[in-house]
Amino acid sequence: MLVYLVKRLIVSIVVLLGIALGTFLMIHLIPGDPAKIQLGVHATPEGIAKLHKEWGLDESWPQQFWIYLGNIVTFNFGESTAFNSNVAELVGNRVGPTAVVLIYGILISLVIGVPLAIWAALRQGGWIDNAIRVVTTFTFAMPPFWLALMLALLLGYKLGWFPVSGYETGISGILRTCTLPALTVGLGLLVIVVRNLRANLVTVLHSEYIEAARARGYSELRVVSKHAMRNSIIGVITILASLFGFFVGLLVLVESVFQIPGAGALLVQGVAKRDYKLVQTLVFLSGAFVVIVGFLADAAYAWLDPRIRLAGRQ
Amino acid sequence: MRKLLLIGTMGALLALLVSACGGSSGGGGSISVANEGEGKQTANAVCEEEPVAGGNLVYARQLEVVTLNPREIKNGNGDIFADEMLYSGLVRNDPNGTAEVVPALAEKWDVSKDGLTYTFTLKPGIKYSDGSPITAEDIAWNMEQFADPETNLSLPSLGEGIKKISAPNKSTVVIELEYPVAAFLYNIAVFPAFVVPKAKVEAEGAAFWKHPISSGPFVMKEFASGSHITFEKNPYYFEKGKPYVDSMRWNFVPNSNTRVLELKSGQANLADGIPFSQVESLQGESGLTVQEVKFPQSALLITNNKVKALGDVHVRRALSLAINREQLNEAVFRGTGTVPNSVIQNFELDASPQEIPPFEFNVEKAKEEMAKSKFANGFSVSLKYPAGFDYYKQMSLLLQAELKEIGVNVKLEEEEASTIAEEWLAGEFEMTFPFAGTSSDIPVPDEYASLFALPEAELDGFKSFWVNEEAEKLVQKFITNTDETTRKSEWKVIQELFNEEMPSLNIMDYPLINGHESTICGTKANGLGVDQLQETWIGKASS
Repeated sequence: MLVYLVKRLIVSIVVLLGIALGTFLMIHLIPGDPAKIQLGVHATPEGIAKLHKEWGLDESWPQQFWIYLGNIVTFNFGESTAFNSNVAELVGNRVGPTAVVLIYGILISLVIGVPLAIWAALRQGGWIDNAIRVVTTFTFAMPPFWLALMLALLLGYKLGWFPVSGYETGISGILRTCTLPALTVGLGLLVIVVRNLRANLVTVLHSEYIEAARARGYSELRVVSKHAMRNSIIGVITILASLFGFFVGLLVLVESVFQIPGAGALLVQGVAKRDYKLVQTLVFLSGAFVVIVGFLADAAYAWLDPRIRLAGRQ
Repeated sequence: MRKLLLIGTMGALLALLVSACGGSSGGGGSISVANEGEGKQTANAVCEEEPVAGGNLVYARQLEVVTLNPREIKNGNGDIFADEMLYSGLVRNDPNGTAEVVPALAEKWDVSKDGLTYTFTLKPGIKYSDGSPITAEDIAWNMEQFADPETNLSLPSLGEGIKKISAPNKSTVVIELEYPVAAFLYNIAVFPAFVVPKAKVEAEGAAFWKHPISSGPFVMKEFASGSHITFEKNPYYFEKGKPYVDSMRWNFVPNSNTRVLELKSGQANLADGIPFSQVESLQGESGLTVQEVKFPQSALLITNNKVKALGDVHVRRALSLAINREQLNEAVFRGTGTVPNSVIQNFELDASPQEIPPFEFNVEKAKEEMAKSKFANGFSVSLKYPAGFDYYKQMSLLLQAELKEIGVNVKLEEEEASTIAEEWLAGEFEMTFPFAGTSSDIPVPDEYASLFALPEAELDGFKSFWVNEEAEKLVQKFITNTDETTRKSEWKVIQELFNEEMPSLNIMDYPLINGHESTICGTKANGLGVDQLQETWIGKASS
């Protein structure tokens, strides 16, 4: 087990280094000098040189990358060039709203999606199954930007149930201001939840142990909730966990429409202003999040399944 | 059946969108035009009453505030508009929108006959928001910061020409110049010359800007990055009785559709940057007023004179003549633009349209100019425009179609705004809109005339790479001529020369479109389009 974990840890560190290098190169290679962007029409060679020195951009790329790696290790990500703030403080303040919208959105997709998937699986091939497929495909096909505006228009402006935009903290504040953004995220994810869960349920519901449960006289509700769901939902959660990149894109749009002061909107501004440290930090942290979750998941699998942790010895 | 259901659902959603975005309600809306020199009062009767003090304003703004340090702004008008609320300078641009400079912290000033020494007398008893006095020494220090390009990163060129600053007594500040600067008072009226307490800034360093002490009408109360900023009135503001409102909250709403929804739903009392495409529908909304804020801003198309065809003056004239600006104004700017009569933005000093007519649309003349050039058979050229601004895309598509008529094949290239600005600065373009709106920092043409004509501006004719010795001489004389009576006639000559030479193309002068509830009164902007919210008050709606 320990050998497996050490090997997996080494792979994770290599992947993290790859993410750090990839992010560094990407943001440095796209055209646009942050100093010239900030100074605009009034950019003078002296002004540009002053900012380059202040921001450490007068160093060579390898030196800048080395400093960046040092920053990652010490969790001191430096000062943002586009915002008048420390990067760690800035990102720390913005991650919360993004996490709230994302978790709330996933919950909405599960609350709506799980019953629909069960219903569709139990009525496989019937008109209800087809109707659910059409509706979920429709919500997925709608551009998130448009869907967000429609929700703001209908539930915010026309019906006045929610503010059309803004962000408030506290449970009631979150329910007031994050429901529409979360609904946009949730409706975007609905098709993923419903289709995968339905497919898993259809397979599981035809398996022998389900037949055995039915033969014992259990109600269909108990068969599905106690026996079929447990084996079917794991696949959906795995898929949702692997869609992190998709979530980032979705959140950028949602935060923009609903004026959520989150990390997605911050990333867009960081790229537009070529704020190297900010973009590097945000992309690295989101990459690191995926890598850490993957590592923990693999560790859990290895702990649960001896075939995985012993594979290397065979 | 399933298909019908789907079509029905989509139809209902589209109908909802159209009804919300279109002019659904019956009238009551109005449009007010905030021209320079006008009071810009709204059409609502409640605004004809005496101003009422009190209340809270919520303003949905397209650009967020990033820093409150006026000498190191990071987000253009996002920061500048907040600076205008928090700080004051010796003088200021007229809050009523004229191109005049009026007193602020200074009560009056005297200019020496040679135009080299300005002596400012301070208003008595002026104080910062913490109640401490604003001293002449403080102001002198702030002016030194303004004049030093090491500390004034925002607009270093406006601080050029200052030789010495002193505070000979408690109520006097003297500024000596190396050479006469005609726009000097305009230069020191802008944000990098705003006044903050020297001792506090030196003691606290960067931390000061997180909770600055104010010399302007408002004090910053809360600043949530990426979300909002709130202000409260400064009890020590030098204009007694102002600001009228007790507090303000600015929501940062970059999405234009959301801003409009905030305004329509009543979540915000004011919204800026209303898309041109939504002007008509908002005019139809009862209880809302749409306001055009006119200031020196234009859609400036830079033509790279290093490109052989574009270096030919006949070609540049032909390009201008081939553009139907009236049609473009209706189609893209919904009639809110103005066909320009000057290559650079519209200034109050400009000759009137009667003296110098607006740029003509005449395809026959355009073809004649092409025939006179070395490119009579036409040529191909690329045009870059910034992504994310639908009206620049529409404008570029129209230009492409119109220039084809005279044999010019335009290849359109949409690029991200930062990239396009950087390529413009590096001279890597043929034709480009380097910015989504090119606006002046001062309400007189001195800054942009210098950027186009003077080699010492180090901007290669605003990157058009146009060189003209006559223009250089005339502009040099103009910017050092402090005699107001002759400046207008001098500028007319320069304006005509620019129009003749056409170093680049001014496609359209266009305003900023704001919207507000009709009970919000005194929505003024200065000659640079910057909100003067100390003048704004909340009228009581008639029952």
